[in-house]
Amino acid sequence: MTTLWDTTGSAVVKELAAQRRTGGAVLSGVALTLVVIADESRVAEAEEAATYAAEMHPCRVVIVVRRQIEAPVPRLDAEVQIGGRLGPGEAVVLRMYGRLALHAESVVLPLLAADAPVVAWWHGAAPDRLATDALAVFADRRITDSSLADDPRAALRIRAEDYVPGDTDLTWTRSTAWRAILASTVDSVAGRRGDAVRISGGRIEGDPHNATAQLLAGWVSSRCGCSIEVTAGSRDAGPSGVESVLLQLDQGEEVRITADHRGGAVISQPNRPDGTVALPARALGDLLSEELRRLDPDEPYSDALETATGLGGLTERSPEREHVWFDPAEGDETPVEGSLTS
Amino acid sequence: MITNPLRDPRDRRLPRVPEPCALVVFGITGDLARKKLLPAVYDLANRGLLPTNFALLGFARRDWGDTEFAELARDAARKSARTPWREEVWERLASSVRFVQGSFDDDDAFDELAGALSELEGSHGIGGNAAFYLSIPPAMFPTVLKQMQRTGMADSTPDRWRRVVVEKPFGTDLASSRALNELVDSVFGADDVFRIDHYLGKETVQNLMALRFANTLFEPIWNGHHVDSVQITMAEDVGIGGRAGFYEETGAARDVLQNHLLQLLALTAMEEPVEFSAEQIRIEKLKVLRAISLPDDLQTFAVRGQYEQGWLAGQRANGYRQEEGVDPASTTETYAAVRLGVETRRWAGVPFYLRTGKRLPRRVTEIALVFKRAPHLPFADTDTEELGNNQLVVRVQPDEGVTLKFGSKVPGSVMEVRDVSMDFLYGEQFTESSPEAYERLLLDVLLGDATLFPRNAEVEASWSVIDPLEEFWAGTEPFPYRAGEWGPRAADEMLAAEDRQWRRP
Repeated sequence: MTTLWDTTGSAVVKELAAQRRTGGAVLSGVALTLVVIADESRVAEAEEAATYAAEMHPCRVVIVVRRQIEAPVPRLDAEVQIGGRLGPGEAVVLRMYGRLALHAESVVLPLLAADAPVVAWWHGAAPDRLATDALAVFADRRITDSSLADDPRAALRIRAEDYVPGDTDLTWTRSTAWRAILASTVDSVAGRRGDAVRISGGRIEGDPHNATAQLLAGWVSSRCGCSIEVTAGSRDAGPSGVESVLLQLDQGEEVRITADHRGGAVISQPNRPDGTVALPARALGDLLSEELRRLDPDEPYSDALETATGLGGLTERSPEREHVWFDPAEGDETPVEGSLTS
Repeated sequence: MITNPLRDPRDRRLPRVPEPCALVVFGITGDLARKKLLPAVYDLANRGLLPTNFALLGFARRDWGDTEFAELARDAARKSARTPWREEVWERLASSVRFVQGSFDDDDAFDELAGALSELEGSHGIGGNAAFYLSIPPAMFPTVLKQMQRTGMADSTPDRWRRVVVEKPFGTDLASSRALNELVDSVFGADDVFRIDHYLGKETVQNLMALRFANTLFEPIWNGHHVDSVQITMAEDVGIGGRAGFYEETGAARDVLQNHLLQLLALTAMEEPVEFSAEQIRIEKLKVLRAISLPDDLQTFAVRGQYEQGWLAGQRANGYRQEEGVDPASTTETYAAVRLGVETRRWAGVPFYLRTGKRLPRRVTEIALVFKRAPHLPFADTDTEELGNNQLVVRVQPDEGVTLKFGSKVPGSVMEVRDVSMDFLYGEQFTESSPEAYERLLLDVLLGDATLFPRNAEVEASWSVIDPLEEFWAGTEPFPYRAGEWGPRAADEMLAAEDRQWRRP
C-alpha cells in the first residue's frame, strides 16, 4: 500500500502502474471498474462491501471521498492498494478537497480499467439528479441506496423521476429474497393444481416508509395487475421493511409468508402444512455483489418502480445522461446533495 | 412457467428453486454422504435454494434413531459446509430429517421407508416428489432397485416425479454397464436417471462451453488445421487411501479415464450444440464419444503404470503393492495414458493424449490445446530457438482459469523470441465461494435439469473405448514409476514416438 499526500491524478496512475509491476502475481482478469462515492463517515462500510464484491467479481475499485468542498485550496490525497486490504484486485481510495470535488472525473477517468464496464455506487445520499455528478454520466450502471435518505419513500420517488435504464437501487436488491420466496410459493400452488394461478389481491404488513416494502408491493402489483397496500405492522420489520405478505389467489385460496425474525420465513399455503425457509439478513457486500452480476437494464425493477411511485414511461427513457453543471457554492434553489444523516 | 404470474423471464435475480420434494440417501453413513452430500444439502438450504417443503431421509444398516442420525448429519454438515454455519438453518432442516434402519434385502425396512415417504407427503407437504441417491457399492444396486420396484417407490406419475442418482463407476465394462443401465432404466424411466460425474459440475467445465461458443476468437482455430495435439491430464498426488478393495478391482482406467477424462475430451471436441440444453449437448457429446478411435499400435500408445515407493511433497510414500489391502503381486494400474483419435472432419489426424495417475507430483486437472507451429518464421533460426508451440490451457482444478502461451520478444537489443504465458485466474475467493460441484449437481437433480449428467448411451460409448484397452492390458504387468514423478518412462516414450512431449502441468 502506498499513500500519496497532496498529489495529482497522473501521479496516482503512475503509482498504480508501478505497484502492478512490483506486486508480482496479482489478479490479472478485470471484469469491470467499480467507482464508489462515499462520504468519510461511511468509507469503512463501503470499503468492506466493495472488498467482498471484488472477491466475487474481479474488478478495479476506485473509492471517491469528497471532503470540505468549501476548502480554499483544492487538494488530492490518494491511497493505492494492490492485493491488500481492499481485496485481491487493484484499489484506489481518493480523497478530494475543495473545488476538485466538483471535478472528480478528471482524476477518475484515467483510472478506469480499459474498455471494461463502469459501475458507480453512491453509498450515502445520492444527488437528486444523477446527471449533476459527472461520475454518473460515464457509468454503465448506477447503484443508489434510497434507504440511507431521511425519507426513503420520497427518495424512491426522486429515483423514479430521475430514472434511466441502467439505474438500480439497493432497496430493490433487498427485496430479492422475499421475491424468491413469493415466486416459489406460488410455483408450488401452481404445481399442486397443475394449472395456472391468478393473484387477485394482497397486502404487505411492515413499514410503509420503507422503500423495499414499497418496491415489493410495486413488483407484485406490476406482475398481477392488482393493487397491493403496505400497512403498518406491529413489530420492527428490519432492513427489508416487510413483516408478512398475504396474497389472495383465485379459487378462494390465499398464501401468507411471515418473517420469523430468526433468519427464516414461515410459509402458509392451502392443503400443505406450514414450512419454513431461510430468509437471512444480507450484508451490504452481498447486495452489491448481486448488483454486479448483471449490468444490463433491469426491467422488473423499472416496472416495480413505476407501480410503486405511479410514474410512467421509465423504460422508454434514453439510457444516456448528459452532464448538468451544478455548483453547490452558488446556492442554487434546487439543492443537489440530499442532507446527510450521519 | 407461465402458470405463475410472479415468474418473469427477464427477472434474472430470482434463483431456481426446486418443487417440494424429498431426498432419500441410501448409504447415508458412507464417506461420500458425510463429506459431500450432507454439507451440500446444508449449503443449499443456507443459500435459500431448497424448496419450502423438503425432507431428507437416510437409509443405512446402523441401529439409529432420528435424533442420533440428526446429530451425525449435523456434525458432518458443520464440518464440511462451505457457507457459514447458522444453527437456525440447520434446526429447520433437522426438523424434516428421518432415518430408516435396515439392510438392503430387508423387505420390512423398505416398507417402512415407503411408509415414511408417504407420511412425509402429508406432514411435510413434499407432494410425492423424491430423489433417491444411491451412495452404495454398485453390487448392491440390483437389490435396492428391486426393492424400490416392489414397493412402487420408483414410479413417476404425472402428479409426482421420482428420480434416481447413480454414482460412478457405472459398471466395469460395456457388458456390465449395459446390464446396469437396463436394470436402472427398467425401474426408473430413462429421463429420471441422473449419473453423477462431479467433474462436470465444476465451474470451469461449464466455462469451457462459454469459452468456445460465446467467443469468436477461439472457434476458428479449434480444429485440426491449427491444433497439433490435445493433452488432457488429471493427476492426483494422493494414493488410494483406504479404498484398496475398490481400487484393486478398478484401476485408473476404469476409475478416471472412462468417465472424467472421456467427458472432458467430449466437451473439448464436440461441435456446437443447436442450443444450450441438456438434450442438444448430450447429442453432440455422444457423437464425439462414438467417433473416438484407438491406435493400432497399442503397445506404444496405451501405457499403464503402477507407483513404487518414493518421495512426494517431502514425505516418504509407500508403493502401491505395499499399501494395506493390496495384493503384493497386484497388476492393477494406478496410472494410465493413451493416445486417442477423434474421427471427424474437425479432428481427423489430431492425437488426443489422455493421462491420469495417482501419486504424481501435484494435484492438477487441465485440458491443453497445443497449436501447430507457424509454417514460416521470418526470423533467423537462432532467434526462435526458445519458441515452442502456442498453447491454450483450460485449468479445471486447482487455480481454475485459462492460460494462453505464446511467443514474445525478450527485451533487449537482439531479436530473441521466447514463450510467455498469459493467465486468467478466477480470484482465489471467487472459486472458494463458487458453488461446490455437488451442490450444483444436487440442485440440478431436484430441478430435473440433466445438462450436466451423462446419459446411458454416453456411458456405453465410453466403455467401448475402454474395453479394448483393458483387453490388451489383461495379463500384462504395468510399468513401474516412483511415487512423486510424472508417470512411467513408457508414457514419455509414447509422445516421443511422435516427436512430442508431455506438458508439465
